[in-house]
Amino acid sequence: MRRQLKGRQMSILDDLESMVSLSEGTVARAIYSDQEVFDAEIERIYGRSWLFLCHDSQLKESGDFFEAVMGKDNVLVVRQKDGSVAAFLNSCTHRGNAVCRAEEGNARSFLCTYHGWSFGIDGRLKGVPGYKDLYHSDFEKSCYDLVRIAQLDSYRGFWFGTHDAEAPALQDFLGEAGRLGLDQIASRGDMEVIPGIQKFVIKCNWKFAQDNGLDWYHPQVTHASAMREGILPGPKRPSIEHMDQDELTMQDGQALEMARDVGMSGTKFPNVAVLGEYGHSIGGPTTDAHVGEYDPSWRYGDRATAELGEDRTDIAGHPAIFPNIFIAATGQLSLRIPRSPDETEFWWFSFVDKNLDERRRRSTVRAANRVFGPAGILEQDDGENWAQSTMQTYGTASRNVPVLINMGLGRGEVRNEGGLHRIDTVTNEHPQLWMYHCWQKWMMCDSWDELRSSTEPPETI
Amino acid sequence: MSTVEQTSQLANVIRQHEIEQFYFHESGLLDDRRFDEWIDLFTEDAEYFMPIRRTMSGNDIGREFTKPGEIAFFDDDKKLLASRIKKLGTGRSWSEDPPSRTRHLITNITVLSDDGTEMEVRSNFHVYRTRLHRELDNWVGHRVDRLRRQEGGLMIAHRVIYIDQTILDSANLSVFF
Repeated sequence: MRRQLKGRQMSILDDLESMVSLSEGTVARAIYSDQEVFDAEIERIYGRSWLFLCHDSQLKESGDFFEAVMGKDNVLVVRQKDGSVAAFLNSCTHRGNAVCRAEEGNARSFLCTYHGWSFGIDGRLKGVPGYKDLYHSDFEKSCYDLVRIAQLDSYRGFWFGTHDAEAPALQDFLGEAGRLGLDQIASRGDMEVIPGIQKFVIKCNWKFAQDNGLDWYHPQVTHASAMREGILPGPKRPSIEHMDQDELTMQDGQALEMARDVGMSGTKFPNVAVLGEYGHSIGGPTTDAHVGEYDPSWRYGDRATAELGEDRTDIAGHPAIFPNIFIAATGQLSLRIPRSPDETEFWWFSFVDKNLDERRRRSTVRAANRVFGPAGILEQDDGENWAQSTMQTYGTASRNVPVLINMGLGRGEVRNEGGLHRIDTVTNEHPQLWMYHCWQKWMMCDSWDELRSSTEPPETI
Repeated sequence: MSTVEQTSQLANVIRQHEIEQFYFHESGLLDDRRFDEWIDLFTEDAEYFMPIRRTMSGNDIGREFTKPGEIAFFDDDKKLLASRIKKLGTGRSWSEDPPSRTRHLITNITVLSDDGTEMEVRSNFHVYRTRLHRELDNWVGHRVDRLRRQEGGLMIAHRVIYIDQTILDSANLSVFF
């Protein structure tokens, strides 16, 4: 059969409707490597969504700043003299040069090192070389302040920004599912960021990483080595005879031998999938499965019960806040920052309760350092899966093979519990499929009302 | 030059030679993937730490590296190093199967202090790694070691690895430094 050549004028974006199928549980591989799709994501998703910038504890003193990324924009988040926080583009209003080249620190002012325009920590243009002699005072300096981002707000110390002045309020955007995700860090205590953000690059599409955060089918294979007895630090995991393992053979012919006794998925592994508006979701076990957390004691305290709600403290999986936040059971937050279709930066923010004694603080820090990040006992085995998955979306033939996200398809009964849409089940792929469904709606819907209504969780998935 | 000075200089040359031979041996063990022998070079109380480096302006440059007790790429004791090696031996450590091909180049070895029992030694490293078809990593930086004189030779009691990159341009750090 002759292959039909695509017309040059035809855009892949005309085909978005067929890229994700909620009824089939499939995703087109083109969405992971097509430049046109990527550019549209930067505009339609990262140009509209609320995006995590940094945590309040990173900005202790007046002038403390952190450089965040919003799509392709570099944004300075700065503590003001009056204690408030401001966020503006790190770009001089004269020629566009960055006014700050450090990733964090403390500033008395921001100087553009090109021609010397100088801005206050509030972003106001203060000094212009030759303002009187060369410009003849022809313009109002206040017209050229650093450009503030459209909206800035925080939830329980987590600062977010959006480029869209029309975006709904942060609280509404997060909804029950997104807020619960952040609550899972905030309700552990008086949380602060431990100094040092781990930043590294994986040659993968950001969506492969993001859906993996919700994936509890992979740990006992991807992390088979880490889950052998005595390697992964933390409490001993329960013995769970979890799933059939027939005909699983390695290259040398030996049986794969998934870590049977320290498994992380299977039929006896109670899971909760949470589906949220705008594409937020939570995937993973309940506390009955007792995995992933070093110290789950915070869940049983009065604070968590009051703040999360008694019937929500059992949700122990990984929250994913659309588009690119992953929250780990270690109480860490990872951003997956898209740089190109096949390049993503990973930024890990690690949190600790500032009231912990020295010994418990140290063990929290060590746990954070040991599990995730590029050298993390778990995460070091993830990156190549995502990079290789991305690479296989380029082939003329391989890109036509759909990505399957259909485990338990049609079996997910969604229960609305006070606005939180949860599915109580076993290991599944519901939240990943939900993420891609909502991704499609973000790419296709022009208005917030349309987006909100088309990402209302269904009764079954 | 007096005899005393000559003797002292000769001692330094011998010490320098001993340290160099120790590091060359260690590099060989790593490049040949003889990890079980490599870990025997560490004392039982050893610490192995790779802080994060940050792009900071001049006025904040003192905070460029994170400190112990803060976030790091490696924050290991000997037990965790042993776990990493055990993990590599499971036959299921996919980030090292096929294995990385590494070359550890150690230069500019300088003794910073020596109290007779322990020496503080600074050296530069270039760890070159290739994996799979075309994956390539170059990690350059310096290490500050505390080398302890034990019966049978030198051992590493403390290692801090200062890497030059801030945003690490690598998918993982599944090798040792």
